[in-house]
Formats: sequence, structure tokens, C-alpha cells
Amino acid sequence: MFRLIAADLVRHRWGALAIALLIALATALGVVVTLEERALRLGSARAAAAFDLVIGAPGSETQLVLSAVFLQPAPLTLLPGSVLAALATDPRVAYAAPVGFGDFSDDRPVIGTTQPLVDGLGGVTEGHSFRRLGDAIMGAAVPRALGDSFHPMHGLAEARGGVHSAITYRIVGRLAPTGTAWDRAILVPIEAVWRTHAPGTHGAEDHGSEGHGSEDHEDANHAAEGHAQAEAEPHDAPDPSEPGPAAGTPARTIAEAHRQREQSDAAGFDAPINPEALTAPDAPGVPAIVVKPRTIADAYRLRQAYRTDHTLAVFPGEVLTRLYGTLGDARQILAFVTLNAQLLVAAAVLLVVLIHVMGRRRQIGALRAFGAPRAVVCAVVWLEAVLVIGAGLAGGFALGFGVARLLARQISMQTGVVLPVGFAAEDGGAFLLLFAIGGLAALLPAVLAYRQSPAAALRA
Amino acid sequence: MPELHVSDLVVRFPGLERPALDIPTLQLPAGAHVALTGPSGSGKTTLINILTGLDRAPAGRVIWGDTDIGRLGEGARDRWRAGHVGLVMQEFHLFPGLSALENVLLPQRLATFRLAPGRRAEADRLLARVGIERPGQKVETLSRGQMQRVAVARALVARPPILVADEPTASLDADAGAAVAELLAALAREVGATLIVATHDARLIAGMAQVLRLEAGRLVPAGANPAAPAPTHAAVDPAA
Ligand SMILES: Nc1ncnc2c1ncn2[C@@H]1O[C@H](COP(=O)(O)OP(=O)(O)O)[C@@H](O)[C@H]1O
Ligand SMILES: [Mg+2]
Repeated sequence: MFRLIAADLVRHRWGALAIALLIALATALGVVVTLEERALRLGSARAAAAFDLVIGAPGSETQLVLSAVFLQPAPLTLLPGSVLAALATDPRVAYAAPVGFGDFSDDRPVIGTTQPLVDGLGGVTEGHSFRRLGDAIMGAAVPRALGDSFHPMHGLAEARGGVHSAITYRIVGRLAPTGTAWDRAILVPIEAVWRTHAPGTHGAEDHGSEGHGSEDHEDANHAAEGHAQAEAEPHDAPDPSEPGPAAGTPARTIAEAHRQREQSDAAGFDAPINPEALTAPDAPGVPAIVVKPRTIADAYRLRQAYRTDHTLAVFPGEVLTRLYGTLGDARQILAFVTLNAQLLVAAAVLLVVLIHVMGRRRQIGALRAFGAPRAVVCAVVWLEAVLVIGAGLAGGFALGFGVARLLARQISMQTGVVLPVGFAAEDGGAFLLLFAIGGLAALLPAVLAYRQSPAAALRA
Repeated sequence: MPELHVSDLVVRFPGLERPALDIPTLQLPAGAHVALTGPSGSGKTTLINILTGLDRAPAGRVIWGDTDIGRLGEGARDRWRAGHVGLVMQEFHLFPGLSALENVLLPQRLATFRLAPGRRAEADRLLARVGIERPGQKVETLSRGQMQRVAVARALVARPPILVADEPTASLDADAGAAVAELLAALAREVGATLIVATHDARLIAGMAQVLRLEAGRLVPAGANPAAPAPTHAAVDPAA
């Protein structure tokens, strides 16, 4: 029996292959949609795990989460420095760390923050953490070596921001892998960011809102101009012992200002980290603050307290859940389209199989005429169909898994968010269900073969 | 060996005014060699389908030995045919992709799952007997004459007491046809099987002890075949 099936499949290998491929493609389509959606959900939930509560200036909650958690560049309004100061001393807060974005190095976000968030993200596996203002910690996926140094760019390269050429960070440590966008980021002390951006004018320059969205060219240009102006403004040499720049000799010309500034930057970045700078009354603003509450109750109280006219407090998990809702709708549309495609394929496959079986009425009838029991003939036809369908389904799951992995890798490379693509128990159920449906569908040609009169078949 | 008793057999097809087959009585002794002749459309294939249980007789009796195959259900008729009848058709109905030997054994394999002991040796013997030198050769590479000889071996491998052939030489050239005709008669004699051959082939008819002639579904007297080597007795009652 199996020799017959094998010989038959070999003889019709191209047709069988085409049918299996058709089934595989239709299956893969569904598998990719399911796996990718699940991976996106798991991956982004994992990425938000370290971020219990995020506080920013009033605006879009989603944007605040996307920027603070997923480091998506966007112009955010700054929070006044007093907010961070207040949170730092709040008894309900385990730690509150600023997230200052706006600078880049080779398209990698350079994020100003503080030690607690470094620890919250998993700490440093190589080298050491911030000691001086010029120290930088790279994310696990940044292809640089310890000891490398770089000049941060203001804004993404395509947004034509300026290079803070005078400022040099040196990479002193590597962050543990987090599977999040932070793996692609470079962390620097927030004070260093403040100094870079607003020596003598801190607080005035809204560096969170400088149009790092690369599409927004007008805004970006404007921001760049504003920035240039800010840099060209007369300013004072910073005093390492103080968070903000101290009084000094005003510069007479722009060139003079620039020279002075470069010197001061170079000097200032050797200064040790001063945690008190954060809580100084004149501390500059930050676009977002990550807060680790002590208890869950504290988390809710803090969110309540910071939902004001001037501040916005969100649970990233909650915002993501809402996003998934939207994603779920999209998935449903996708699933609908996929299902229709699959139904079409199923119908086409069934038609082809039926035509094939009809075309082989003579052979099937002859088998019976020469003494094969009709149940066995029926089983042969059924088994053959099931083999092709099963191969298609298995191939489809494999293909779908491969494509989902590839897609996830692409997304990971672009965003740093690791998407865990994997089958769950329910997928096994789906496979079995599909297989059962395939088995039932294969009954149709089998029954046709069963009912085939041998005499009529031989006459035909 | 079963003898055949047919009585009151009438077969009608929708759209045909006259019955396609109307045989009040027909008896054949066990081991008879009978040629079934008659013009095209006279009902030869219809009769053979009924005698082999491929089709059920709608009216009348078809009794082989002590089995009225008209009373059997479809599955039972299949089983009876598998155990009693070897078939050779005009078309060979061999399965491409399988070897000559595999084709000879295929119905047995499908019927019993495990081959009965001795079947394989019997298949080899029969293939050698019908002149197939390479039993492992794929059937699609055989000549037409060789194909029909493989089909003859397949019909005989289960040692059926009845051997039935429907125009076995019609699609072969004269030489190949003669070889198949000789083989059919010789092998049926070797195993003592009843042989019924529907044919136009004069050479094939000449090798048969008895000739039945069908015309428009009725048996007409054709008498014993004078050229027959070993006449056997058959009672034919032509339609009244
Ligand atoms: N299934 C059928 N439906 C209608 N008519 C049929 C069917 N089978 C055979 N016939 C008719 O019955 C007659 C006998 O056919 P057949 O037995 O094949 O003749 P032969 O084999 O002698 O050439 C023919 O007229 C044929 O057209
Ligand atoms: Mg005929």
C-alpha cells in the first residue's frame, strides 16, 4: 500500500509539491500574523518591565511611553527641574531617574540619566558605571569597545543637527542585555547632557522639543538654529563643584564665546558626578522621569499626585495594553484577510484534488476490479491527500516561524526591542485542528473513490 | 471449480428501449473455455461485468458453484471476485511507477496487507512463464504486448478458478495478440480454470472449445467450435 502511495506521489510530485506549497503559503501567512503579534506583545511588555511609572509634561501619553521606554525620538515638552527634585525626596519613591534624550551618536540615542536607572535596567556587566561627567555606558548591542570615545550629535544626522564637537564622552562600561531599545542606546550622566545643551542658559533651551523626529525638518532646522544661538550666547565657565555654570567673564565675540565654551566643556567633563545636582533648586528640566515606587499602593498614589495641569503620570503597562487593543483590531482585520486567503486556497486545493481523483477514476476502479478491497482503495486516496496536506501544513508552520523570526530580527535591529518569536501550546492545538480539518477535507476525494463503481470506471 | 448457472438475466439501461442483455438461461461446466463473440454493442462487456460481479445483476440469477453473486452486496462481491476471478481487460490497467512484479502483487498486497506465503514465488514463476525477463522493470517502460502479459500474470497470481478477459488482444498488434491468446488458453488449462474471453479475434476464438454469440443482448446459436482442440459441453438455450 505504501509503495503504491509513494510511487503515486513520486509520479505526481510536481502537482503534489504545488499543492503542498499552496497550503504552506496560506498556513505561513496565518502563522506569521499570530507569532508576530504575540512577539510584539511579549517583547514590548518585557521592554516596559523596568518602567513602573513615567512622568512627563502634559501631552500624549502614548508618545511619553514611546519616548521614555522605547526611546523613540519625539519633541516632548520639558518638565521643570523642581519635579525631579520633589520626586527624589518623596518617601513613596524608591528612585526617580531622569530620561534626557535629544543627542545621538551614529544614530544611537545618547540618553542622559542617573545611576539608579542604570541599576534598574540590570546594571553594568563590563567596565564600571558613571564616575565622571564624561563617562558613558553603552547598551549591550552597541558595537563599540570600552575606552572608545565619541562626540554626541545634536539630533539625528539627517535632521542636520550640530555636532557638539568639543564634548567627548568616553565609554567606560557596558549595560547588561535588556532585550529593549536601551540595548542600542548610550547612557551618559544627565548633568553632562545639561551642560552640553545649556551652559549658562539651562532651562531656557527646551532640548526635549527640538524635533528629533527626522521627518520634521522645519522644526529640526529651527531647533538647530536655536541651538546654534544658544551655543553662541555668551556664557560662563562652569564650576565643577556646582551643577550649573557659575559666573565668569562674559565673552566679547562669538568666536571668543566658542573658544571659552570648548575649554570649559573639556574641563567640566572631567568633574566627578554630583548627585546633588539633580535636586538643586535651579536644576534644568527633563523630558521624562522614570519613577520606581516603593509599593503598588504608592504607585497609584504617585500617579494620582502627578496627574496635574503641569505633569502627566502614566503606567507604561497600561498604555501598552491600550495600544494592544488597537493592535488587536488591526490583527483582527489581518486575520480576516488571512482567513479569506486561506479559505480560497482550501477551496482551490480541494478542487484540484477532486479533479485529480476524477481523472483517476479508471485507476481507482481497476484496483477494485483486480481484487483490492474498496476500504483500502479509499484509504490509499485519503492517505495520499493527507500526506500532501500534512506536508503543506508542517511546511507552512516552519515557513511562518522562519519568516516571523526574520521579521522580528529586522525589528530588533531597528528598534532594539527583542521580540521573542515562539510557538505556544495553543499553536499545537491550532496545528492539530488544521490537520483534523485537512483530514476531513481529504475524506471527500476518498469517499468519491469509495463510491466509484469499478465497472463504470473500467468502461470510462 | 465452480460451474456457472445463469437464469432469467435481464439488464436494461436507461434510454435503451430493448434490454442490453436478455439471457433466459446459460450454463457452463467448470473448466470450460468459452469465447464470447458478437458485434460491438451486443452486450459482451455488460455480460462479463455481471459474470465477474463488477456489476450487480438487476434481475435473474448468476450462480457460480453455490454462490449467487447477484445476492451479494457490493463488498461481498468484491471479496468473492478477489478470491475467484482473474481479470484481463483490453486496457492493461497497470500502475506506472511500480515494477512488473509489484504490479502483479499489488491487488494481493492491498487485500491482505501481508502477502500470503508463496505468492511472491508464484508471481516470479508466472512472470517468467509469460516471458517477462526483468520482473523489476518499471511497467511504463514495457512494450504493449509485455504489458498485457504482465496483466495476465496478475490475473492468475491468486490462482483463481475463473479467468475472464474482455477483448484482451484488441489493442495489441497481431504477434503480441497471438502470444497473449496462446498464454490465456494455456495458463487456464494449466490451472484448470474456467476461461471466458470476449473477443473479435479469430485466432483467439479458434483456440476456444466453445463459442457463445451475442446479438443485441441475446445469445444466438453458434454451436461448438469445429476448430476447437478439446471440445467441452455447454448447454446454450438461445432466446425464444
Ligand atoms: N452504463 C450504461 N448506460 C447506458 N447504456 C449502456 C451502458 N453500458 C452499456 N450500455 C449499452 O449497452 C449496450 C451493450 O454494451 P457493451 O456490453 O459494452 O457491448 P460490447 O462490449 O459487446 O461492445 C450498448 O448499446 C451500450 O451502449
Ligand atoms: Mg466491450
